[in-house]
Amino acid sequence: MVQDLRIPTIKRKDKLQIYVNGKPVTAYAGETVFSALQASHYTKFNRSKKLAAPRGALCGMGVCFGCQVSINGVKSQRSCMTDVEDRMEVEIDET
Amino acid sequence: MRPKDPDVLIVGSGFSGIVAANVLADHHLDVLLLDENVHVGGQILRSVPERLGTQTAAVSDGVRRAGFRFINNLQRKKVHIMNRAVALGIYPNRELLVEVEGKRVLVLRPKIVLFATGARERFLPFPGWTLPGVISTGAVQILMKSSGVLFSREILIGGAGLFLLAVAHDFQKNGGKVMAVLDETPMTNKLLLLTQLVHHFSKLTQGVGYIAHLALAGVPIRYQTRILEARGDSQLKEVITSKVDRSGSATEGKKKAHETGALAVGYGFCPNIELPQLAGCCIEYDETKGGWVVKVSDQLESTVENVFAAGEITGIAGALKSLNEGRIAALAILRRLGKISEKDSSSKFERLGRERRQHLQFGRCFNRLYSVPDEAFRQIPPETIVCRCEDVTVGDVRRAIEQGCHTPGAVKKATRIGMGPCQGRTCGPVLYGLIAAYIRRSPQEIPLLSVRSPTKPVSMSALLTCDVP
Repeated sequence: MVQDLRIPTIKRKDKLQIYVNGKPVTAYAGETVFSALQASHYTKFNRSKKLAAPRGALCGMGVCFGCQVSINGVKSQRSCMTDVEDRMEVEIDET
Repeated sequence: MRPKDPDVLIVGSGFSGIVAANVLADHHLDVLLLDENVHVGGQILRSVPERLGTQTAAVSDGVRRAGFRFINNLQRKKVHIMNRAVALGIYPNRELLVEVEGKRVLVLRPKIVLFATGARERFLPFPGWTLPGVISTGAVQILMKSSGVLFSREILIGGAGLFLLAVAHDFQKNGGKVMAVLDETPMTNKLLLLTQLVHHFSKLTQGVGYIAHLALAGVPIRYQTRILEARGDSQLKEVITSKVDRSGSATEGKKKAHETGALAVGYGFCPNIELPQLAGCCIEYDETKGGWVVKVSDQLESTVENVFAAGEITGIAGALKSLNEGRIAALAILRRLGKISEKDSSSKFERLGRERRQHLQFGRCFNRLYSVPDEAFRQIPPETIVCRCEDVTVGDVRRAIEQGCHTPGAVKKATRIGMGPCQGRTCGPVLYGLIAAYIRRSPQEIPLLSVRSPTKPVSMSALLTCDVP
């Protein structure tokens, strides 16, 4: 298994489980959906409207809307502005 | 039911916002502090455990500690805080439309509005900058600071300015590997800055510290180096770079390929002036302040009565200026609401005003480092996407300009640039640069894109909860 990208020296809060396209993924309380995805090496989040080209996050601070994913069935949520919750269901376009 | 209208509504809980809230609450005013994020503190004061070992660009640790103290005091002082609150619009007589937690929309009518909306990063697009694996330097920093996550194991960092060095330094310190730092601008610009920073000793030592640390770690820093292209099918694989001359032209024959799956880019900062613009505040162009900023008096009042502005939106200069302006704005508001007399506060104003001028002077040196020459805009290849939301290319923009669309608004109508969910926040500054470069005008002659409410996407179900009489 590929190691996640969390900085090992940091003490984490509660361990949670989220689902990314139905697959269980580990996350920790206080992380955003964006950071939990990045930590587990997910970089493709959605596709652009006109060219349907794969896209990921850009600004990380809620400005660019590049990191939009579907969260618990609600589409077009900014993953960088949403904290993870246990058993959260995240849908991304990873193809 | 409508909540009680606050005396003062502050939009943005970065340095300016929290400092102003503290001072205002000391005088028993009813203060409401809004922030779009889940946390209070803005981009600098992200709540990191100290052991994370990250530092923040151009802010000494003492300043950060002071910042966190301000945050801790907010609750004790009974400042009302609304997180995940987006100011969607502002109408005459300071009537604001605010979306809360993506679920409801409120109408608020404060006596005074203080905009402290901060800044965002600027970009200079190149083919392939939309590929997953290409990210902003700010996002790399946020991942480390807020979540303790590295964007990747290895990273190439490029763009313009000192922030690249800060991010590179933090990335290395947290166990990542920086392949190289590539800066568009010449090194002599930095040396010029150093000579002007003698009055800002802490900033000087910090900058030198970053460079020394990176040199020790063997991270190459290359100046006058541009990212020409990012390549890959659906994921970044390779980055092509080139040397640039002082006019901003890429030099032929000096290209280099870097194999990497991660590239961070940033080209300085851009004030978030959309809400003040919508409020009718005069927005003025000043290159030394980082572009379009809110025009303010010495008391930080905008050209609209009882609407104030503080922090990066009045000129990019970093956290210390924001802290100082939070204080000035709060004093001015206390005066306006009759809580302090002009006589009692005049010496304080004088002292804070002197400090502010020093911070602005630092900003003038600092912003010069990020200035991208017109030629750099003219050299962006036509296939390059400018508007990431609507997939509008440089070629599309160029055609519209050739057909006579000489304002950003006209190009927008012709191409859909800036019509996506980010509403031109990412591509707008690039569009201004492209038009100015193509029709050879100075940037202040290019009018801003118009801003309309709602300034950010809002769901109909949230909007329908709005109780408008």
